[in-house]
Amino acid sequence: MDKEQAWSDWIKERDDPRIAHTKPEALDDITVLDLSYKSFAGCCCSSMLAEFGAKVIRIEPPEGDFIRSCTPYGMLHKGEGLNYLTEGRNKHHITLNLKETEGREILKKLVAKADVLIETFKPGVMDEWGIGYEDLKKINPKLIFASITAYGQFGPMSRSQMPDYDNIAQARSGIQAGTGEVMPDGKGYDECPWAVPTKAGPWIAWTQSATFMAVGIMAALYWRWTTGEGQALDVSTAEAYARFDDYAALWYEEAGVVAERFGSLDIAAWLYCFAPTKDGAVFLGGLRVEMWQAFADMMGKWDEWGAAGWTNLTIFTEKEQQLKWAPLVFAETRKYTNDELVAMSIEYSQKGRLAPITPVVAPVCSPQEAMEDANWRERGMFTPVKDPVYGEVIVAQAQHKMTKTPIRTSWVCQPVGYDNERIYKEYMGFEPSKLKKLKKAGII
Amino acid sequence: MEEEAWQDYKGKKYSKPLPLKGIRVLEVCTLILGPSGPGFLAMMGAEVIKCEIPPMGDTCRDMTPFGYLFKGNGPVFTHTNPNKYWIGLDLHKPEAKRVFLELAANSDIVEENLRPGVMEGWDVGYRQIKEINPGIIYIAKNGFGQWGKYAKENRPSNDGASQGFSGYAWMSSFPGQPPLKSRIYPCDDYGGLMGEMAVLAALHYRKRTGQGQYIELSQSENIMRAMSWVWPYQQITGKTAMPAGNRDVSICPADTFYSADDTFVAIAAPAPDEFKGLCTAMGRPELASDPRFKDHLTRLREDNATEILKIIADWARTRTAEEIEKMGEKHGFAASRVYTVKDVANDWHFQERGFITEVDDPLLGQYHSYEFPVMMAKTPPRVKRSVRPVGFDNEYVMTHYLGKSQDEIKQLYQCGALGKWADVPGRRPPAGWDGKAGIIMPEGDKEKE
Repeated sequence: MDKEQAWSDWIKERDDPRIAHTKPEALDDITVLDLSYKSFAGCCCSSMLAEFGAKVIRIEPPEGDFIRSCTPYGMLHKGEGLNYLTEGRNKHHITLNLKETEGREILKKLVAKADVLIETFKPGVMDEWGIGYEDLKKINPKLIFASITAYGQFGPMSRSQMPDYDNIAQARSGIQAGTGEVMPDGKGYDECPWAVPTKAGPWIAWTQSATFMAVGIMAALYWRWTTGEGQALDVSTAEAYARFDDYAALWYEEAGVVAERFGSLDIAAWLYCFAPTKDGAVFLGGLRVEMWQAFADMMGKWDEWGAAGWTNLTIFTEKEQQLKWAPLVFAETRKYTNDELVAMSIEYSQKGRLAPITPVVAPVCSPQEAMEDANWRERGMFTPVKDPVYGEVIVAQAQHKMTKTPIRTSWVCQPVGYDNERIYKEYMGFEPSKLKKLKKAGII
Repeated sequence: MEEEAWQDYKGKKYSKPLPLKGIRVLEVCTLILGPSGPGFLAMMGAEVIKCEIPPMGDTCRDMTPFGYLFKGNGPVFTHTNPNKYWIGLDLHKPEAKRVFLELAANSDIVEENLRPGVMEGWDVGYRQIKEINPGIIYIAKNGFGQWGKYAKENRPSNDGASQGFSGYAWMSSFPGQPPLKSRIYPCDDYGGLMGEMAVLAALHYRKRTGQGQYIELSQSENIMRAMSWVWPYQQITGKTAMPAGNRDVSICPADTFYSADDTFVAIAAPAPDEFKGLCTAMGRPELASDPRFKDHLTRLREDNATEILKIIADWARTRTAEEIEKMGEKHGFAASRVYTVKDVANDWHFQERGFITEVDDPLLGQYHSYEFPVMMAKTPPRVKRSVRPVGFDNEYVMTHYLGKSQDEIKQLYQCGALGKWADVPGRRPPAGWDGKAGIIMPEGDKEKE
């Protein structure tokens, strides 16, 4: 075993994203049709597969997917919405009008050559068009048919006419209700409109529905190796996000307690909060009693706070205790800057009484600070992608580092119908004249 | 048509196969980032053997909402660790390292979330395991990955640290207010989930080539991947992306509104027919063709968005949340009350789908949990077995997986390689345990699952 080389050097030599392009891709034997419409969850799901090398054919109606227009403040980059710009990655974009019979026939021929189909239409729409799972499995019994919608394919709400959006899924999950600042005593909504149930800014319900579905697709592909059978998969975005609620369901069902807003403290943990500092805020974490002791020690409060006598964290986690201790902690953190507190925690891990145990201290950053942080840049998170259409674009990438089949972002996005010629030639044998006819007829 | 695939999904769930049957996972994970991933695989049928350092085990056992324990267990812990087998193995001991390597030799996947190099320091790291099992898929998840400045400083991390580091918290607060921490642990759970994406892709590759590999993952990097527009926006404008409270700045209208019954309702209506539907519901159909709001890109502009959201907010205050939901259904825009966990638990739809599922566990009894949220028509994932005290399945794992004799097991206990729970909350069996419930007989139940 080549243990003489330090672990961090050894592994960096093998999983640095800079050498990703020299390595094979895990899923380059898989073909995916992504029909998603008005859904970032669908786009993100096929991105997860495309990052691993799956051949993803992204099928949009001739006018393009509405999701392209979902962009912050209406801003476009070379004609493209900024969200779509990040999630068109590695996909071949074609157009196809599924509202026309001829379009559906073309889809069926593509399905015969595909492994996975992703769709986000309201339940029943694909069936009405004669291209639902029951129709397509006759053409390709190995097909994995993945649907992501607001309420799923079955159950009382599944025929709802309401569309699927991230903020709705967040609202439906039970998580938004319990996240947010506590309304100050004697105040109301009009005075403090920020002390309300607060959703996450990023499209987390959509993104993680996408990731759940991608994981489900991988499991279904694995099952297909042994059985040869495809199947239908169903994700409801509200359910997928709710699954991330780690304790509230059981707490409510068994103890009758509804998890309510607790600001930036934490209902289920101590020491675990954002704390104000001279120049912003830091996260403080110490989920072992020794880490909470180390924090007290680091702040010079070992004796005054009686840290030597602390034996477990259960008591500190109680609401009254948290409300008692938080102001004492904040009074200390306010004396320092973020950088000072981070440096103190690193120093404590080397020289403190409880070293190497040290509290978690992390700056609460703006995304600009995050993007400029040399640590993430070195690790390949924000390496600009050189895209043939959109130029150098920064998207978050390389979130997995892998030794054999690393993910990569070969291009970020394509305009509507960009690969029509290439894909229709490759999969259908259509010549340019045929494409021209189809285009004229509104089929592509 | 698709009813056929989904007919009586809930009722037939337990008689169908699981997609990852036969996959074996060895886990040395604590808290949520680490254990959540193998938990997802276990719900899909993988055999997950969770190794904890006895007698205290996983720190997650201490995570209790305001100190509440469910039959002696922390609810975060039960939620994160379904369907696993539990061994107490003190990896500081040479005999335990040998046992671990024997298990690793017979596993498909190893998952750990310790700081960089710790497993290797114990002689059970990737470089040791791949020598005896070249097909192994090994994933290490932690705050900062295995290399880089922060990893080198050996910094500890938590979900909250990643919410801070990534800018996620910054983006999830109200303008002018300090960054807000989420009530949940999104960086942990999302990191755990993302990890399995890589693990299953690696498994696919191994099926094709026989080759295993090493995967590393940082909690902060994963949540950054979920922040979409923020990065190119900052690159292109040179400006910092700013928070917008409940307003979605990429979809208009999409926001949370205060309604007449002193509650909150989320609305989204960006597509032309949806926006038109909302305007009609508000009794203001002319707004749909107002030059400020006529198409989505125009409507998204800061000044126009502010105006339309104000109009909707004023209207929403005159209607109850339920009325608005009904109008959404009628007029084809999206609306939902902001559900509390009580609303989720009592929601008929979630119950009918089996998303709210009843676990009937021999040790912890009956309770409700959230199901794995990918419904798979032929291979439905499921929660079937709850958490166990530290080292609870030692005997089963040692005999069933490693063929150890009673004498060998005894020796492993004597030298401290194997161990069981400390007699403290979160570790020990529930009060009144009969000494039998929950124990898997070496030749018994497993095959029946």
